[in-house]
Amino acid sequence: MRALIRAGLRDLTRRPIQSALVVLSLALGVAVVVAIDLANVSAQHGFELSAQSVAGAATHRVVGGPAGIPEAVYLQLRVGHGLRAAAPVVEGIAALPESNQRPVRVLGLDLFAEGPFRTDLEPLSAFRPEFAPFFSQPATAVITQQFSESLGLLPGDRLPVQTGDRLSTVNILGVLTGDTALGSTELLLMDIAGAQELLGMIGRLSRIDLILDPASAAELAAELPAGVRLESAGEQIEVANQLTAAFRTNLTALSLLALVVGSFLIYNTMTFSVLRRRPVLGTLRAIGSTGDQILRMVLIEAAVLALLGSAIGVGLGFVMARGAVGLVSQTIHDFYFLASVQDAPLSPGLAAKGVSLGLGAGLLAALAPAIEASRVRPVEVLRRSSSEAGVARRLLTLSASGVGLATVGAVGFQLSRRSLIGSFIAMLAILVGIALLAPLATRAVALAARAARRDPIIRIAAGSLPRHSSRTAPALAALTVALAVAVGVTLMIASFRSTVENWLSLTLRSDLYVGSPATTGTRPMASLSPDLEPRLAGIPGVKDVEAIRAVLVESEFGEIPLSAVDPRRVRDAELYRLAQGSAAEVWEQVRAGSVVVSESLASRNRVGSSIELSTDLGVKKFPVVGIFYDYSTDRGTVLMSRAVYLDYWNDPAISSLGLSAQAGVEPAELAERVRAALDGTGLEVRINSQVRAQALAIFDRTFAITAALRLLAVVVAFFGVLGALLALLLERSREFATLSALGLTPEGLRRLVFTESGLMGLTASLLAMPTGLILAVLLIEVIDARSFGWTIQLELHWLPFAQALIVGVGASLAAAIYPTARMKRLSLAQALTQE
Amino acid sequence: MRRLPLALVAIGLGGTTLLSGCASAAEAPPSLSLAPGAPGPAFKEAVEPLEFSAQVDHGPHFDFQTEWWYYTGNLESEAGNRYGYQLTLFRRGLSPGLAQRRSNFGSNQIYFAHLALTDASLGEHRAFERFSRGVEGLAGASADPYQVYLEDWSVAALDSTGSTLRLRAREQDVSLDLHLQAERAPVMHGPGGLSLKGVNPTDATYYYSIPALSTDGTLWVRGEQLFVHGSSWFDHEWGSSVMPLGAVGWDWFGLQLDDGRELMLYQIRTLDDVLISGGTIIEQDGRAIWLSEADFEIETLSTWSSRLSGSKYPSGWRIGLPGEQLELELQPLLADQENRLTIVYWEGAVTVAGSVGGRGYVELTGYQASLQPWF
Repeated sequence: MRALIRAGLRDLTRRPIQSALVVLSLALGVAVVVAIDLANVSAQHGFELSAQSVAGAATHRVVGGPAGIPEAVYLQLRVGHGLRAAAPVVEGIAALPESNQRPVRVLGLDLFAEGPFRTDLEPLSAFRPEFAPFFSQPATAVITQQFSESLGLLPGDRLPVQTGDRLSTVNILGVLTGDTALGSTELLLMDIAGAQELLGMIGRLSRIDLILDPASAAELAAELPAGVRLESAGEQIEVANQLTAAFRTNLTALSLLALVVGSFLIYNTMTFSVLRRRPVLGTLRAIGSTGDQILRMVLIEAAVLALLGSAIGVGLGFVMARGAVGLVSQTIHDFYFLASVQDAPLSPGLAAKGVSLGLGAGLLAALAPAIEASRVRPVEVLRRSSSEAGVARRLLTLSASGVGLATVGAVGFQLSRRSLIGSFIAMLAILVGIALLAPLATRAVALAARAARRDPIIRIAAGSLPRHSSRTAPALAALTVALAVAVGVTLMIASFRSTVENWLSLTLRSDLYVGSPATTGTRPMASLSPDLEPRLAGIPGVKDVEAIRAVLVESEFGEIPLSAVDPRRVRDAELYRLAQGSAAEVWEQVRAGSVVVSESLASRNRVGSSIELSTDLGVKKFPVVGIFYDYSTDRGTVLMSRAVYLDYWNDPAISSLGLSAQAGVEPAELAERVRAALDGTGLEVRINSQVRAQALAIFDRTFAITAALRLLAVVVAFFGVLGALLALLLERSREFATLSALGLTPEGLRRLVFTESGLMGLTASLLAMPTGLILAVLLIEVIDARSFGWTIQLELHWLPFAQALIVGVGASLAAAIYPTARMKRLSLAQALTQE
Repeated sequence: MRRLPLALVAIGLGGTTLLSGCASAAEAPPSLSLAPGAPGPAFKEAVEPLEFSAQVDHGPHFDFQTEWWYYTGNLESEAGNRYGYQLTLFRRGLSPGLAQRRSNFGSNQIYFAHLALTDASLGEHRAFERFSRGVEGLAGASADPYQVYLEDWSVAALDSTGSTLRLRAREQDVSLDLHLQAERAPVMHGPGGLSLKGVNPTDATYYYSIPALSTDGTLWVRGEQLFVHGSSWFDHEWGSSVMPLGAVGWDWFGLQLDDGRELMLYQIRTLDDVLISGGTIIEQDGRAIWLSEADFEIETLSTWSSRLSGSKYPSGWRIGLPGEQLELELQPLLADQENRLTIVYWEGAVTVAGSVGGRGYVELTGYQASLQPWF
């Protein structure tokens, strides 16, 4: 047995290029999985850490409406109820005008109350005379080491910050170093009074941290005044995890595709190696090796390749993760307002997961060829027949199982409506099922080529293609899958993008937008003074001002975004997916106190005819009169009239303003005038097209990682095709030598090889086109509808199809360059006498 | 050959583990590097003689950095069990005067308070502390009406001169609610209320006491309500140089003698010596006689070591005042009346015997660590 294994492994080293290619493609597949895994874990770790560091040891927190909770609630809890483990917290976001409006978290604590929550803030003692200004001086902050390093800030520096519509300067009193829970986040740590003043939250608190046992928590929850509620600290982290779960699952699924492509290649190599060695295997059987031993030999060969590939893949994945972490965290930041993603170290668990995935995929892919090898009968050696004899029968079986798998996948897809992972598995089955039709497609392409051209070389090429189909099929299938993924993902992204563009033009109706720079997009934190509305309306050239308040409110479905908008402008009918009555009728009801909800909210939570929201007057039911399209956040949004909002919430602040210009006034010109009027507030004035461009930039950033994954699958497939072609052509050197001996010129031989390769690439590309289209439809259903609850209009475009054709044919032709060059060096006699 | 791939895997894994090892930061204790402090406006020093007015001076003195209001007392329950209590409120200004801020939480005042109860029958001494910023509703002090509070620990005058008071404090299963009635007018501990704390003239504080307040009220100990009666002592002290350079702590004695006199003695200690000492004896008619170093002798009879804090305290004293024909022997009500709080010190009830009997309170600070960082 040992000798057998050694023989098998020697075979691998004798074909170093093929072995290396398999290792490389598997390594890439594993690397992608590991990198995405790491990025996901980092993101999760990042906001768990930041949630924990900000929560300290709190078990519960008292929270309120968008404007926070009144200070009196804290005094009542601490002094009235005698809750010793209670600490007030004021939190917000500030922008740094000198650092490209980079946002930074402002955390205001009462250090005298923090004792039970944090033990690592001891150096921040009020009894240190140099630290006294932290408490006694306004606008004084301590920063974390991470923040100090990334901005080059030192104790004693003055840092301009923008909060809402106020520009202020913060004195950096000190830098907190060493191991602290807060140290790993970027923040301005302030005294609670300073934070209230800086953030314009006089008399209000963001929350009250508490340490409570379950019994007293239940008791307290019942006693809290209306508009204030108790939640457990775990809930926050849970919410953040749930929020991004769909996003992370999608990434993982896409990363697994690269691995699937990689395992096709292992299958390809092992099948090929078994086919090529049939005589050897037969001899081995004849001299007494059992089928079981042969099976093990082939599996060990595969395992060695897979292990090597996985180990390299894990290392490579770690390097790639650096890039992926950035992309993932940016998206999470853009969409979920969760900052501070950390670089997670590669844990042994993650590395083991990568290796076992690679090894598992490799062994699974090698199982079929290994079984086949073990079944080689000693007598076959003597007949020297090739297994291609059963080509027709095999083609039928393969195609039938392909159709079967795709059908099972399609049925499964229909059944797995609610399960994201189920949807992905079904999608994969459909994809692989179609890929199994590659040999059939090869035959069709060959027939077509033969019929189309009378050129003898094309006829030879077309004739030989189907004969080698069992050797080329796995590589072709891999290429088909990769190209189909590229087509599908590209179509999905393009469709999504044009849907969003269309939606933007329906929603962005003002000429100018005014907002706080740190709080662009739909971030709910910005609070601007309501005085801005009349102030802006008075500027010459302004026709109308619409104030928007975007906040997070507690609902029966957890915390959800709410937009309170100017009720005067009736929304377009195209914005509604479902509406009770005409657009005008819907809006009439909104003015009267009803709300409309976004489709992602509706589909995720099965919103009925009304929705319960926690207002400052207690929990209230609002009738739902329509479902509207909204792509700003997958959390879903409730839209209500700002007049209604002000009735229920004690929160006159606004988040942003839309301005329309009077007829004949250039928006850019008006923007200048508004900027001049707002001088000193630090507010940003952007014209419609800038807002739209920014939204699309965020969109593109979101899909940057998807695009990168799509490219990687193609790279993996390219190496696979290269390896398969190389092996095939090397093996056929005797056949080519015979053709040369019969008079085929070297030029003709080259043409033959390139034609064969080109036809293979063409087959894969052609098959990938409908497959890609199907995939795009499925992806839109899974990612957009099932994961995020968005309706996307499929948009067909020729470019991805052309790209598939160019990449497919190009990759195949490129793969043929090396073997043909090598062939030239081979002498005729040598080739003929080989074997 | 067979081993090679496994070796590579090991290298691969080992390499990544190395990388991950580099990624995690080394453990370091938290610390804070600060901008060098710019000298701000200075606090007032206790140098001018005080023109004492109860309506004003019971209240806070924000121009001075440090201030405290000390209530201690020996109590007896109806069953005849002895109790000692301490309720102290401290104020520390971060800058002179009272800061005006837009935020209601804005303050340059820190308050902290200690509550301790000694139960002689159970042989138990318990102490608690609180810290707070000095803002409305959380902690503060005022002169008219006189009150000092930190959350629900409070001292409140029931009359305009602050001679009738209510003390309330509650923590866990310990609680007190006491009515105090002054039996003496406030007594200054030095000319113009100035009490010397060091060799420099600015090393001084304003210091006065009401050395006897008859006390009635309720204690709750372990869920049991006890009606108690006894006598309290009130100290009020403020200044900006409480601890002269080199001082680590002090010993303080406040004794109520059965012959109707009261005695206050203090000695400020350096690490191995007494820096300065002094005191006041209050005669039956309320006349105060200021004592200097030469007027009395304090001899330590034994020591007590705290197993929990590791500190070693004097425990039991012989105090001689030859000029007053007094020879007193003091024994603590309990050996362990150590307040193991952020500041670790001993403060406890004592029994007086000797030429005359009595009861009192003793405070021993700076035995565990110097008090310099706190005052």
